[in-house]
Amino acid sequence: MTFLSAPFFCFFPVTVLVYFLLPRRGKNLWLLLASWFFYLCAKPVYLTLLLAVIATSYLTGRILAGRKSRGALAACLGLDIVLLFLFKYLHFALSLAGQLLRAAGAYFSTPALEILLPVGISFYLFQAMGYVIDVYRGKVEAEESFLLYALFLSFFPQVVSGPIGRADELLPQFRTEHPFDYDRFRKGLLRFLWGAFQKMVLADRLAVLVNTVYAAPGEFGALQLMGAAVAFSFQIYCDFSGYTDMALGVAQSMGFTLRENFAQPYFARSISDFWRRWHISLTSWFRDYLYIPLGGSRKGTVRKFLNVLIVFALSGLWHGAAVTFVVWGALNGLYQVAGAVTQPARERIFGALHLGREKRLRQGIQLLTTFGLTTVAWVFFKASSLGTASAILRGMLHGPLWVYQSMGLDRWELLAAAAGLLVLLAVDLRAARRDLAGEWLSAPRPVRWLVLWGLLFACLIFGSYGTGYDAQAFLYGFSF
Amino acid sequence: MSRSKIKKELVWAAVFLLLTALMINFLSDVLRPAQTSYGSTWRAFLAEPEDSLDVIYLGSSFTYCDVNPAEVYDSSGLTGFVMAGSEQPLSITYWYLREILKTQSPSAVVLEVTSLYFKPYQNYTQKNVDLMPFSRNKLGAIFTASEPELRQGLLFDLYFYHSRWKEVRPDDVVRALRPTQWDERKGFTAMQGVLDGVGETPDVADREVAPEVYADNLEWLGKILALCRKHGIQPILTVHPSYVRCTPEVYARIGQEAEKMDPNVIFCDWSNAFAEIGLVPNRHLYDGSHLNQEGAAIFSAWLGRELTGSFGLTPRPQTPENTAAWQAAAAWWNDQSAQ
Repeated sequence: MTFLSAPFFCFFPVTVLVYFLLPRRGKNLWLLLASWFFYLCAKPVYLTLLLAVIATSYLTGRILAGRKSRGALAACLGLDIVLLFLFKYLHFALSLAGQLLRAAGAYFSTPALEILLPVGISFYLFQAMGYVIDVYRGKVEAEESFLLYALFLSFFPQVVSGPIGRADELLPQFRTEHPFDYDRFRKGLLRFLWGAFQKMVLADRLAVLVNTVYAAPGEFGALQLMGAAVAFSFQIYCDFSGYTDMALGVAQSMGFTLRENFAQPYFARSISDFWRRWHISLTSWFRDYLYIPLGGSRKGTVRKFLNVLIVFALSGLWHGAAVTFVVWGALNGLYQVAGAVTQPARERIFGALHLGREKRLRQGIQLLTTFGLTTVAWVFFKASSLGTASAILRGMLHGPLWVYQSMGLDRWELLAAAAGLLVLLAVDLRAARRDLAGEWLSAPRPVRWLVLWGLLFACLIFGSYGTGYDAQAFLYGFSF
Repeated sequence: MSRSKIKKELVWAAVFLLLTALMINFLSDVLRPAQTSYGSTWRAFLAEPEDSLDVIYLGSSFTYCDVNPAEVYDSSGLTGFVMAGSEQPLSITYWYLREILKTQSPSAVVLEVTSLYFKPYQNYTQKNVDLMPFSRNKLGAIFTASEPELRQGLLFDLYFYHSRWKEVRPDDVVRALRPTQWDERKGFTAMQGVLDGVGETPDVADREVAPEVYADNLEWLGKILALCRKHGIQPILTVHPSYVRCTPEVYARIGQEAEKMDPNVIFCDWSNAFAEIGLVPNRHLYDGSHLNQEGAAIFSAWLGRELTGSFGLTPRPQTPENTAAWQAAAAWWNDQSAQ
């Protein structure tokens, strides 16, 4: 069951209605049962692993509440990491080992493993690990109620693809009452609709173009390859940001506030700025639970750069069990190291050109440079292999400018995508300075209705769904 | 929020939802492709005046290619309409008949029974069911006669057709604003010419169908006959002239089974009645199974005479406007035949 499936449109109204009708004592139990049902719809066997992670991290929390046991913490974290490795990285590690051994002349046949990746494992394991570390550090109290803790890890808006929640933010929300708030409810639904627009109208439409070009990069010209790379930058943003908006909207309509995951990332003026705006819940997780424990920036410049590279390489690996993801992560780390190293020189150049920090031209140059660098990095994220990625990057520099060949979208589809991207730009520009949902709520009723109808009918008419449509799974969805 | 404000907001929310539903319905009508031939012509059927039709012709393409109601009218004065559908199973036919009886009270239903040998789901469920007006009968067809994987789209047909936004023309908007449209074809689809090699040697062989499927089909036929009984309608089961046909024994067995279900039923095996009807196989068959326009004209005129002569049907009184409309339709087809 995904947010944009018919079963969810039955599941959600029933869940919300019963949630608000139940007396306070029954609300959390109902949410937990609903969340487990939601999760069961993915595949029943996955639920047992989620339950095991809930049980072990809950017990570890209880042990840590009694005494600060480094052993208990290590055992729990070790178990979580082993689970993640077994389910997500074992096949990758074996095939990598096989390649290395074969290169060294040894015979090694990679066993064919049929391990299904449990839905959302990367998200809820990180959330559980964050919880036990926070308890160990004394940042949060160990949760006494198993029900609340189980709900913390299973809460259906975030269990599949985050945002990765923090115990100090989410657990208290399960303890407070959330009476029906019409304004919050409407804001939540608006946010859900905006997320659906990004996913259905933009991400899945751009995916057709991107997949066509990436499937045979040698058959397209340089401008087409660049276009596809740029399209993927927007596709992945609309896909994941759309998902997050839907998750946050669903939670908001029930009175819960989840962690924000995006803050107009393509308006970033440097790569480090980009990573403060992109997948914020994961970036901050790596910052708090890996970068700072590694020493952060406290142990000298070289160690800081090394820490950045380690964190981003691991972040790349978190995104997928393939070399391309590691390269993507490491490249982002390298960008940041290079950015820090060259900062004085860049400041001097801007100074010589009389381009102060607030000059529009300087902002524009920085914004476009950052966008260009992230787009190049996304090529590795999207490509099926390093060979394909390098073929795409080579094709951007060599070969014909344009090859007359269909890129998968006709001109009407391209027009729809362009119009949708303009809407996205306008919304992001405005959202950077204002509370859009608040503005919408205070607008006259006809304006509110027009906004809702605009989004709804854009999804219904121009959205990618229905017969003959090959549904694109959420890029950050079931494979994480 | 005060109680009165909550009430007010609830009313506005209901208005919003109602308007949204109406707009979605209108949008579905605009984006749904027009259907004027090849069966399931509900838009034209609903334009017929209430209780004005003497006969309803049901079945599959054998019905909408072979029976031209305007020609039947010309020879007999019986008004009628073909409400068949491509490869339509009897389960869908049953729901069609229920929906038809909401606006019409025919004296007879003529059902071509080759569909007894159809699988539960043939190739055109989407077209057959989706074009029905939204009603309990459509829901019945969706949940008892349609592939489960089609249900989502049949309940919300933007799922099937929303990507037609690039093809929409002003005509589609006009069509959506006018849900019914009178049509002189009355559900008939004219096939032109004769395909190569047709009408030389009949292909006589039993159609293959699993016994449980046949039993299911018989059950749906029983429901159709029961519905006819309930509404005082004469059921007439037919097999049309065809060069792709079963053995006479098979058709005789169908007749016996139908008679067992309803002694009042009339069963007619016309599969090999070419000479009696006046049809020349290599001139009047479009392919082995369906008549062409000329063949349909001959067969329909003969059918009209059979319905009034052998089966005793009599035309019901019509308003002068409707009589004029039927005469115009018959004249239009005569012109078509003359060309």
